[in-house]
Amino acid sequence: MKKKNKIKNTKKNILITGATSTIGRMVTEQFYFDKRVGKIIGIGRIDKPYYFNDYSPSRFTYMKVDILKYRELHNLFISPEFRDSNINTVVHLAFVEEVSRRDLDPHTLNVEGTKNLLDMCMNTKGIKKFVFKSTIYVYKLKPNSPAIIHEGWDLNFDPTAPQWIKDRVDADMLCRSAMENDRIDIVVLRFPHIIGRNINSQMNIYLNQRIVFKPMGFDPIINLIHSRDVVNAIQYAVHTKVKGVFNIKGRETAPLSTFLRLNKRKVIPVPPFILSSINALQWKLGLTDFYYPINKDFLKYSCVPSSERMEKILKFTPKNHVRFG
Amino acid sequence: MDEKQRKLVRKIAERLLPREERERLLSLKDQLIDEGFGYDKFGFEPESALAYYLFFNLLYKYWFRVKSEGHKNIPPKGRAMLVINHSGMIPIDFIMIAIDVMKNANPPRIARGIVDHFAGALPYINLFIQRGGSVIGSRENMEELLKADQLIGVFPEGTKGIGKPFSQRYKLVRFNVGFVELAIKYQAPIIPVAVIGAEEQFPQIGKIRWLGKLLGFPYIPVTPTFPWLGLLGLIPLPSRYHIYYGKPIKFYKRYSPDSAQDPELIRRLADHVQKIIQEMINQGLKKRKSIFK
Repeated sequence: MKKKNKIKNTKKNILITGATSTIGRMVTEQFYFDKRVGKIIGIGRIDKPYYFNDYSPSRFTYMKVDILKYRELHNLFISPEFRDSNINTVVHLAFVEEVSRRDLDPHTLNVEGTKNLLDMCMNTKGIKKFVFKSTIYVYKLKPNSPAIIHEGWDLNFDPTAPQWIKDRVDADMLCRSAMENDRIDIVVLRFPHIIGRNINSQMNIYLNQRIVFKPMGFDPIINLIHSRDVVNAIQYAVHTKVKGVFNIKGRETAPLSTFLRLNKRKVIPVPPFILSSINALQWKLGLTDFYYPINKDFLKYSCVPSSERMEKILKFTPKNHVRFG
Repeated sequence: MDEKQRKLVRKIAERLLPREERERLLSLKDQLIDEGFGYDKFGFEPESALAYYLFFNLLYKYWFRVKSEGHKNIPPKGRAMLVINHSGMIPIDFIMIAIDVMKNANPPRIARGIVDHFAGALPYINLFIQRGGSVIGSRENMEELLKADQLIGVFPEGTKGIGKPFSQRYKLVRFNVGFVELAIKYQAPIIPVAVIGAEEQFPQIGKIRWLGKLLGFPYIPVTPTFPWLGLLGLIPLPSRYHIYYGKPIKFYKRYSPDSAQDPELIRRLADHVQKIIQEMINQGLKKRKSIFK
C-alpha cells in the first residue's frame, strides 16, 4: 500500500520573496487558493503591483522590502503584519534570472540577499520551513558526466565559470550549509530549464529565438519543466514533511533539436568556438538575452535531473506538458 | 530524427530486410523506455539503431563474415553484462557484437555499449554513440542501465586493450575491476565474450600521442596503411570475426552486495573473469584456420 505524505493539520502561513516575478506571482496565486494555507505575505522590491489588488487583505499582504537591506528585512520580521500572520514557512524566489539587467548587482541580490534572509529565518523562532528555488545550472557538466544527474553530482566550482553560475552555486551552498540546524527544514529544489509564458529562463529565451545557432555535432538530451509544475513542486515542498536537496524533473525529455523542431525555429549549426563569437556579437548589439558562456556545456552535454528523490521522498510528479510552436 | 525520417528508415528496412529479420528488429522498439519523443533518457532512438543496423549489417555479413556461437547464454530479459576483450583500433568489435545480439539472441536485445570518456567530447561521434544505445562510461550511467534491466557491454581493458601493439594481439591487458563491483551490487550475470578477428583488422605498429591529444583522442594509431593512405587507410582488413558467448558467471549468488566493497575480492574476481575470457580466446584461436576463415 502506498504511504501517503504526512500533511500537518496546522495551516501554513507563508512569506514569499520575489513575489512580483512571474514564478513568484504564480506561486502566490497558487497558495492564495490553497485551503491548507492561512496567511501570505508577499515581498518585492517594487510598489504593490495591480495584480495583487484583488486579493483579500485578510489573507494576503504585500510589502515592499529590499532583502539586501538588512534593516528593511529586520523591520519586516518584527512588523505587526509578520507577527500577526504567524509566518512559519518561507519560500525564497528572489533571484535575478536575467543576465543583462544592469540596474542592480545580481551577485548582491542572489547571494547576499539569500544570506540575509537565511540569517533572519534562523533567528526567528516561528519559522519551521525554508524552501529555496535553485537550478540544475549549479551542476558541473563535462564530456563524461552521467546522462542522469543525481543530487550528489559535482557542483560547478570552476573559478572561470560566469558570475551568473557562481551566484547560483553560492546561494545553493548557503542553503545546504544551513541544513545542519535541527529547527528549520530547509528544502532546495533544483529545477531544470523552465518553460512558460513570461518566463525569462535561458532555455526559454534560446528556444524562442527566431534564428537559433546550435553547436555543430552535439545534440544533448535536455529536460524541460512547465512553469505550472515549478509552482506545484514548490507547493509540495511546503506541505510535505521533507528537507534536503531535490532535483525536480519536468515532463519533457528529448534532444535539444527535437524541441527546436517542435518550436518551428530556424536552426543553424555552427562550430562551438564560432558560436561563442556570434553570441558575443549578438549580446553586445542587444539582439538577444541568451548568454552562451553560461549555457555552453548545457548545449553540448546531456543533463537530465534524476527523479528518484523527487518521486520517492517528495512524492511529486509533474503533470503539465510544455506547448511548442 | 523527425517522424518523416523515422518512416523513411522503416520503409528502407521493409524493402531491404527479410520479413522475419525486420519483425525481430522492429520488436526492439518495445525495449525502449520512451521519455515521450521516441528517445530514452540516454538518447537512444530505435530508428537510429535500425539505420545503423542496415549499414553495419553489410559489414557484418560481407566484410567480416561474422560467425558466432553461444547465444543461448544471453539472458532473454533482465540486467546482464557482456564482458568483452577489446581490440582493433576502431571499436568495430562492439558494433559487430551489437548486430550479432540483435540478429541471433532470442529474443533480440539491444546491447548498450559503455564507451570511453573522451568520446563524449567528440562532435558527431557522441551523437552516433547515444542514438545507437551506447553511453559514456561513467559509473552512474552503468548503474542506471543496470537498474533499468538493460544488457550492457563492457570492455574492462579500456583503451589500453584497443591500443595494443600487433605483437601483443590476443593477450589481454589486466582488467579494470569496476564491472565486477557493479555485477555483484546489482546482481547482474556476467557473460564472458571472446572476439577473434578484430586484432587483425588494423595491425597497429605505432602511436602518435601528441596528435591524438590535439584532436581529442587518446592517440592516433599508426598501421601499415594509416595515415599513409589517408582515409583509405581506415578501411579495415576483412579478417573473419568469430564471437563466442561464454556461460553466465553469477557472482551475486556467492557474494553478498556488501562484498562489492572488498577491493581484494573484486580484484580476484576480475582476474578470474579475465582468465576465462583468455581461455576462450585461446580456444578460438586454436579452432581458427586462417584470419580470413
